[in-house]
Amino acid sequence: MKETDYKKQSIITRGIIKAAVLMSEFGAESILIEQTAQRLGHALGMDSVEISLIPSAIVLTTLHQHQSVTTTRRVHHKPINMSIVCEIQKIVIAIEKQNYDITFLLEQLKNIQPNYYNRWMVVLMVGLACASFAYLQGSDWSAFFITLVASSTAMFVRQELAKRRFVLIITFGVTAFTATMIASISQLKGVSATPNIALASSVLLLAPGFAFVNSFLDSLKGYLMMGWGRWMEGILLTIATSIGIIIAMALLNIKGW
Amino acid sequence: MLDFIFKLIIEGFFASVASIGFAMVFNVPKHTLKFCAIGGALTFISRTILLDFGFGIELATFIAATIIGIIALYWSRKYLIPRPVYTVASIIPMIPGTYAFSAMINLVDMNSHGVTPELIELFVQNGLKAVAILGAISFGLALPSLYFMRLNRPVI
Repeated sequence: MKETDYKKQSIITRGIIKAAVLMSEFGAESILIEQTAQRLGHALGMDSVEISLIPSAIVLTTLHQHQSVTTTRRVHHKPINMSIVCEIQKIVIAIEKQNYDITFLLEQLKNIQPNYYNRWMVVLMVGLACASFAYLQGSDWSAFFITLVASSTAMFVRQELAKRRFVLIITFGVTAFTATMIASISQLKGVSATPNIALASSVLLLAPGFAFVNSFLDSLKGYLMMGWGRWMEGILLTIATSIGIIIAMALLNIKGW
Repeated sequence: MLDFIFKLIIEGFFASVASIGFAMVFNVPKHTLKFCAIGGALTFISRTILLDFGFGIELATFIAATIIGIIALYWSRKYLIPRPVYTVASIIPMIPGTYAFSAMINLVDMNSHGVTPELIELFVQNGLKAVAILGAISFGLALPSLYFMRLNRPVI
């Protein structure tokens, strides 16, 4: 009797931590990870779920009738993917409302579908986005089109590198290098009156927005360790981008002003 | 007046294109794309209006970020989607990219061509503006959720 209870509880614990690890890997806020784990635990019949988050791992304990199961998982950070986070959120709400059991959770987590957009559409839209940003900063039309070409190509390079599963830092550095190389066409005499805006906007697709925003939200809500971790991640990615830009400029010997 | 409204519409359009592009990089669910576009346009338009009223750029950015923070709170409750999906894409058009870039170029210049008072002045000016605007964005986004966050209540 006791034995089967323990087995069932550890299966539930593994299911919950799997959901939590997926959320952490793809860039969810810490408070969301903790509350998702706790809601899942209550819906699946645990008395309480306690979670300890650090940037590189998750420790999770479930308590059920004076018996606790604790387990640890390593978290490998991956490129941000919000649709997986939303998908897990949906599964949790379905389990809460329909009283599904643990097999439903494991089944759904196995079949989770990342919502990948058509890659050429992403390339085009990111190019347009960076060019629009250049326009908002007050560029002229030639700088607008140079930014469009530069950041589309950069996005293509970034996708290729991501497909080969390089470390994010290398991806960011190489992408920034490519973008700056192409955008520096605007530095040629007479091409554009606002060359610096083209250079600055074409690397905008590398802005680590999620890292910094999540870092602030986490720190202000009491997850200081996670906040520092994400802050460091954002800083490292920014440095990688800057190094890519600087190397490209050193090669082309542009002075900037 | 008509010119100003026309400018607002054009800027809103470009801001929403920028927001959609970034939302795609973060791979948001398809049905949230239109909210990201609306959010980006709203944020940028409200900042332009505030700037027109004579607010400083930091204060205008802060208020605009707070506005999108409150709207996203409402959307996230209604559609059960985590808030950062809406907010991060919406604030992208306000990122001080040019200031940060100029500050970096000034640093490189100081390293390779010698430190001069003019370069230090430029660097401090650009760097401070970039940091101030980034701080305004992050605090503006965080404030509404902190106000509505109570102990033992789900965020969504």
